[in-house]
Amino acid sequence: MAKQPRSTMSRALVRRETISGYMFLLPSLIFFLGFVIIPMFICIYTSLTSANMNDPGSFVGFQNFMDLFHDKTFMMSLKNTFLIVIVSVPTVCAFSLWVSSAIYKMKGPALSAFRCIFYLPVVTGSVAVTVVWKWMFDNYTGLFNAVLKGSGVIKDNINFLGTPGIAIWCIILILFTTSVGQPIVLYVSALGNVDQSLVEAAEVDGATNMQVFWKIKWPQIMPTTLYILVITTINSFQCFALIQLLTQGGSDTNTVMYYIYYTAFKLTEQAGHFGYANAMGVILAIFIGLLSALQFRLAKEK
Amino acid sequence: MKKFLALVLSLAMVLSLAACGGNKAPAEDTKPAETDEPAPAEATQSIDLWVYPVGGWGQEDNVKALTDAFTAETGIEVKVEYLAYADGDDKVNTAITGKNQPDLIMEGPERLVANWGAKGYMVDLSDMLDDTDKSELIAAALTPCINAEGKMYEYPMCMTAHCMAVNLDAFKAAGADQYLDLENRTWSTENFKKAVAALYDHFGGTVAAVYCKGQGGDQGTRALINNMYGGAYTNADHTAYTWDDPKNVQAIEELLAMDGIAFDASLEGGDEIAKFYQGVLKMAFCWNSAQQINPNNANTGEGKTVTGEEIVYMNFPTPDGSPAELCGGIWGFGIFDKGDAARIDAAKQFIKFMCDSAHTKDAVSTSTFFPARTAAEGTDLSKVSDNVMLNEYAALMVPNMGDYYNVIKGWAAQRTEWWNMLQEIGNGADINETIAARMANANAAAQG
Repeated sequence: MAKQPRSTMSRALVRRETISGYMFLLPSLIFFLGFVIIPMFICIYTSLTSANMNDPGSFVGFQNFMDLFHDKTFMMSLKNTFLIVIVSVPTVCAFSLWVSSAIYKMKGPALSAFRCIFYLPVVTGSVAVTVVWKWMFDNYTGLFNAVLKGSGVIKDNINFLGTPGIAIWCIILILFTTSVGQPIVLYVSALGNVDQSLVEAAEVDGATNMQVFWKIKWPQIMPTTLYILVITTINSFQCFALIQLLTQGGSDTNTVMYYIYYTAFKLTEQAGHFGYANAMGVILAIFIGLLSALQFRLAKEK
Repeated sequence: MKKFLALVLSLAMVLSLAACGGNKAPAEDTKPAETDEPAPAEATQSIDLWVYPVGGWGQEDNVKALTDAFTAETGIEVKVEYLAYADGDDKVNTAITGKNQPDLIMEGPERLVANWGAKGYMVDLSDMLDDTDKSELIAAALTPCINAEGKMYEYPMCMTAHCMAVNLDAFKAAGADQYLDLENRTWSTENFKKAVAALYDHFGGTVAAVYCKGQGGDQGTRALINNMYGGAYTNADHTAYTWDDPKNVQAIEELLAMDGIAFDASLEGGDEIAKFYQGVLKMAFCWNSAQQINPNNANTGEGKTVTGEEIVYMNFPTPDGSPAELCGGIWGFGIFDKGDAARIDAAKQFIKFMCDSAHTKDAVSTSTFFPARTAAEGTDLSKVSDNVMLNEYAALMVPNMGDYYNVIKGWAAQRTEWWNMLQEIGNGADINETIAARMANANAAAQG
């Protein structure tokens, strides 16, 4: 009997706090619904239609999806997208973990300096970064050609951004430099939060540095690793600005994200181009979802 | 206190959201009416104009002087947005999708007539033409602005013929100037090949680029390939692409085989102009009077590279050295049909002011191109500029404007096919197979 009033008060408090919580969430929720959830459903619906610009089109079922897998440009874009993800995600994670491990014990200005250096490409506008890289890769007056030619490594200039087989690797390199900043900052923070008493206990028990890392630190930074993996995967799948600014999808560098944009906004004379572009978007979302789920699953097992 | 604070914060956030969207209401005024009938004509005080960088019309200071004059005369304000060719189409297409397109847009028939006009987004301007206009407008400029059904979706203001350019100092240094007819600005294909060989022997590396990174400036590569042996880009009635014309194939094969010519997938028209201006390339295939008067838009002097070398505009090479068939540029205004009669009327006043009035001379000279008509409301437009170069260009190049095939269906799609075709050929793909495959795609687009 004594519990009843306390419980009633508690429920009232919980209700009030819940309402307050939702009130705070409301502005973000409006944006989330308006700009993520609703467009997502519109995208799925449109992918099943022959929609054009200003024309909702008619329902075509899965025809757009079937056409996609006979579209050579889409298949090439898909291949390039997976190449970027497969190369970029592990290298970004491994490199940022390596750098973070080397710098996280540093103090004060040294740590800040390294954080700044690696984070600079992230906070610098992607267009500015890309334009600088474009100058360096220039076929006629670029820095790389000048250095390679000057040092006698090459005789004729290399058309870095105009040669299939080379251009995609240039894009992966630029993507790598702009992607490592955030993971490094996150890993530095995560490694700094590892329970030192466990590390010290392991060292007292005679564990080597490698054993300490894999048995003590690695499990504790796993949530950070998972976050980095998922974010890097999504960013790699959505590689667009670099393609747009450097090659426009030429030199065998087309990606699904760029092809979506191109189909939706450039191929405006192609019947059903909006529906087709939305179908690509759905496919891309499915792949991102599957890969992210796989990463969650593997991380959970670990 | 906490509850009060939470309430205040919540309200502030919600209100800030409302404030963010608060400017929506006035914007509704500019939205098209959702009724079938046009709204009744009422005086409108403001119209939106989007301009592509058509010569000097890409520079705000120039355009502001013109729009200020229009506002002073009519009381109608003009809000101008300056587009770039790189993403201008995206902005317009997005605006059309969102039903917030501008009232007026400045571009050419390939967009206004063959694309947006054909889709029913534009207002028919044929009621603006009277017999006097028809006699004053140059037929080559007017014809592409009217579709097969007789609807006029562009009112032409200015025109030019796109040409190529050479670095005369570099040509002289290489002894290649002997291959140029500088009086008539013409040369033969054989002489072009000899000049490239001389330049390559003297300078080494790439002296000219068949740029193919994207569609920007593709009129240059089209004109080069078509003119070298007299090939055609489309059939005569503009219903199909004819890239596999043996004369085109021969030109492509020879360009590919030439030392000093690169099929460069890292450059498009604007990049090529920049490299030419820097003196890296010795020829530019993407050129016109606006570039000649202000190379690379760098304001460093008419007809000069950055280092002061002399730039000479030229016809593209032809088999017998006669003037080339140059790709034309015909620019004017179109009106998006937003169902608002008052805005359409205001937009028509603007077109009349710029294209057919005493102010047309200023509007045309601002473009650094040439008038699309011989006279406007009593003003003689046969000589709009005192600039010697522009007048020479008008005499030597503009008459060489060839067939304006840009109004063929599927224009946007074929541009992608063209530069991809050049890239693939440059990367070693079989020439005939590649041309056939890409042309088939372009023709599929032309069939709708």
